[in-house]
This record gives sequence, structure tokens and C-alpha cells, in this order.
Amino acid sequence: MDAMTAPLPVIKLEALGDPGAAACEGDFCAIPDHHTQAVVNRRLDDDDV
Amino acid sequence: MVSKPIKVDIWSDVQCPWCYIGKRKFEAGAAAASIPIEVEYHSFELAPDTPVDYEGTPVQYLAERRGVPAEQAKAMIERVTGIANAVGLDYDYEHIHQTNTVISHELLHFAKSKGRQLEMKERLLKAYFLNGEHVGRIPDLVEIAVELGFDRDEVTEALESHRFLPDVKADMAQAREYGINGVPFFVFEGKYGVSGAQEAETFANVLAQVQSERDA
Repeated sequence: MDAMTAPLPVIKLEALGDPGAAACEGDFCAIPDHHTQAVVNRRLDDDDV
Repeated sequence: MVSKPIKVDIWSDVQCPWCYIGKRKFEAGAAAASIPIEVEYHSFELAPDTPVDYEGTPVQYLAERRGVPAEQAKAMIERVTGIANAVGLDYDYEHIHQTNTVISHELLHFAKSKGRQLEMKERLLKAYFLNGEHVGRIPDLVEIAVELGFDRDEVTEALESHRFLPDVKADMAQAREYGINGVPFFVFEGKYGVSGAQEAETFANVLAQVQSERDA
């Protein structure tokens, strides 16, 4: 096992903010429900739907 | 007395829609907070096995890689385009070139070595999401760098020799040390972690909290 493959210690970070905020993992970028609803609301406001 | 800037390390990929949206929201939050910050971007490759010359569309990519039905993929892209539009970004998914971003990360490290990383980060995101430019091939990246005023021969040598690749790998290793699985990911003062494209108000609140706790 070399330096590139050796397991790295995880540095503990104190989490702040909304844990459900939108992010991309791997090759997939999920869209949280609240974003979907916000877009629907905006389209309703714009009379697009 | 002028307060010392808050250090913000941001892990991000060039072809990550939430990273560009999150960048705008973070910038808005930082402006609202009026707290001095020092930003440094770090490399995160979301899909390092993507071919440089991937020929398909983003819809095909999602279908092939994730088995997402085409209609669902189109709907997802429409939604993220709408969210980007709300922060002033006109994503052009019709002309996006899905690719491997490792060399664009090398270019970001090259720009960082010249003290111009933030400028390059914005330009590469704009290239990918707004301009339909290719951000995976050396000749295309060189043209982007030259447009920003970098020396053509110097940037070509840097990218062809891959001399900044170890810096990209070091960023990825650091991300693993932090347990980062997704991007954008923001680390404040090497102590606080914020995942995802938060609202601007959230970023402003986080900056205020971090500053308050640091200066207590």
C-alpha cells in the first residue's frame, strides 16, 4: 500500500447550513424537493402552467 | 481595525451545475455579510472516467450512466436550468460538451500559480454552462487561457506536461480527508463544513457565525 492508496484519516468538520442543499455526487446532480417546488411556484406565478 | 479575512476553501467541479449556482449564491451571501473573505478553489472530479471526447448529449449521458429515462433526464435539466436562471445564469444545455475535466483542473492550478485562479474558475464555468465551449481538450483550454491574457506557450507547456496534475490529486486527497462526497463543498477556516448550493442568506449567516466564533 503506497501513499496514494493508504486510507486517509477523516478530519472532522463542524457542519453548518442546510444539510439538504443541492449538490452533485458522482456523475449525478440531484434536485432537492424544495427546489422543484420553488420552480413550480415560479411557473405558476408566471402563468406558465 | 480591519478584520482578518475568513478563509474559505471550496471544492468544486467545472461541469457541476450546483457549483456554479452555489458560487453565485455564496458571492451574494458574502456581499451581504460584508465580511472580508479569502477564497481558494480546489479540484473535485465528479466523473473522472468520462471520456474527453464524449459525443452524447447530457440527456444521453444521464441515460447511459445512470439509467435515467430520457424524459426524466430532460425534466431534471429543465429544472436545474430554471434554478440557474433565477440566479442570473443562462445555462445552455443544448450546446454543452460533456467531458473529462481533469485538464481544466490543471489549468485552474496553473492560474492559481499566477494568482489568478478566481478569474479562471469563473471563465471555465462560463465556458461550459453558458458558452458551449469544450473544457476537456488542451487546445480549447489554451484558447480560453490566452483570451484571459496568459502566455500561450507557457500554458500549453503546463497542460501538455501535466505538471499541475499532482496538485489536482492533492486536492482530491484532501477532499477524502474531509469526507467530502459531493460538491460544491465549502470549508470555512479549516473547521466548518457547508455542503451544497445553500441560499445566499445561509452563507451570510455562516460567515457571521464563523467570524464571531473565531474572534471571540
